[in-house]
Amino acid sequence: MPAEHDDRIDDEVLRRVVAELRRPVRLDPAVDQRALAEIRAEAAGWPASPSGHRWGAWLAGGAIAAGLLLAVLPASGPEQPAIGGSPAVDASATAEGRPIYLRLEAPASSRVAVVGDFNDWDPAATPLRPSGDDRTWVVELRLKPGRYHYTFLIDGRRWARDPSEPAAAESDFGAPVSVLTVS
Amino acid sequence: MLARLLLLTLSLLPAVAAAQDSRLTERLDDATAASVQQVVDSARRTGLPTEPLVQKALEGSTLGASGERIVAAVEALHGQLGRARDALGSSASEAELTTAAGALRAGLPPTALRRLQSFRSGRPLVVPMAVLTDLVAEGVPPEQATQSVLDLAREGRPDDEFVALRRQVQVQRRGGTGKPAGRPALRPAADPPVDR
Repeated sequence: MPAEHDDRIDDEVLRRVVAELRRPVRLDPAVDQRALAEIRAEAAGWPASPSGHRWGAWLAGGAIAAGLLLAVLPASGPEQPAIGGSPAVDASATAEGRPIYLRLEAPASSRVAVVGDFNDWDPAATPLRPSGDDRTWVVELRLKPGRYHYTFLIDGRRWARDPSEPAAAESDFGAPVSVLTVS
Repeated sequence: MLARLLLLTLSLLPAVAAAQDSRLTERLDDATAASVQQVVDSARRTGLPTEPLVQKALEGSTLGASGERIVAAVEALHGQLGRARDALGSSASEAELTTAAGALRAGLPPTALRRLQSFRSGRPLVVPMAVLTDLVAEGVPPEQATQSVLDLAREGRPDDEFVALRRQVQVQRRGGTGKPAGRPALRPAADPPVDR
């Protein structure tokens, strides 16, 4: 192993490793649990962040851990509930928060965005992407535990609340708003 | 002397920066931003969370509300956060205070929140309070919703069971099938809280 690493080379190696590890692998649930327990135990001994260019071992360990986590996560999709919508495996929650999937059926729309307490209500911050069936728009968020108000903006001019989550009991500004709880 | 002055200025900079939220000045007109900032500053001085107030103002801005309406909404939320802290105490997290503020606004009594807190004994309150609020928003009478959630809390049930209760009520209210086997159900309001 060379003493000096080139960041570009590391990035490329990392990209390939992660791409390979991202390939879905279905494991027995018992194996999932054991793997997670080992990952948690190992993680307790890891440094907060590798420093400088001497990060080959940490990189490999991190990539393997990431691959295992991706492998053991339940199949994710828009159907995943938001409130308490905790994936079956808690390890999916990271410092950035828990993965939350929002979707909206908005056929014949050209663009859909979500605005809410998680993105400063910025219509440009979080666009949804079409799912491929010409009707449904989806987006994945990372949210920390809490309660969030949000709504969708369709074609930049029409508000639509998320029918799969409760309507906000309060509506200060007249627009339809949903409320999402993340545990 | 010059060095001391420089140090003093540098030490004051974070305080000045903390007192002004650029999101407000960028998204609101000057008068509205100033009024909202006053409420935010007041919340900060008294130890209440400020981010929910900023988000409320930004919500109003994005949804096209008037400055007057935005300020009124932010002031109302400030009051609700204060009442939420009165109910839950100063150790409550920002997420708990925000959720409790929503519960109070939905018409739930502070007693219900305090009882919930006592039954949870140190465990996070966000999900039970949110479910309680959502049940009321779904049209469940507050006393019955409170009793059902308190019963789950008293029995030490995990968050998932609170969520299951909410989903079950949603399904029933929307004409779905009855209670799935093994799932919690709404309970009669046997001992409703009295104060509001």
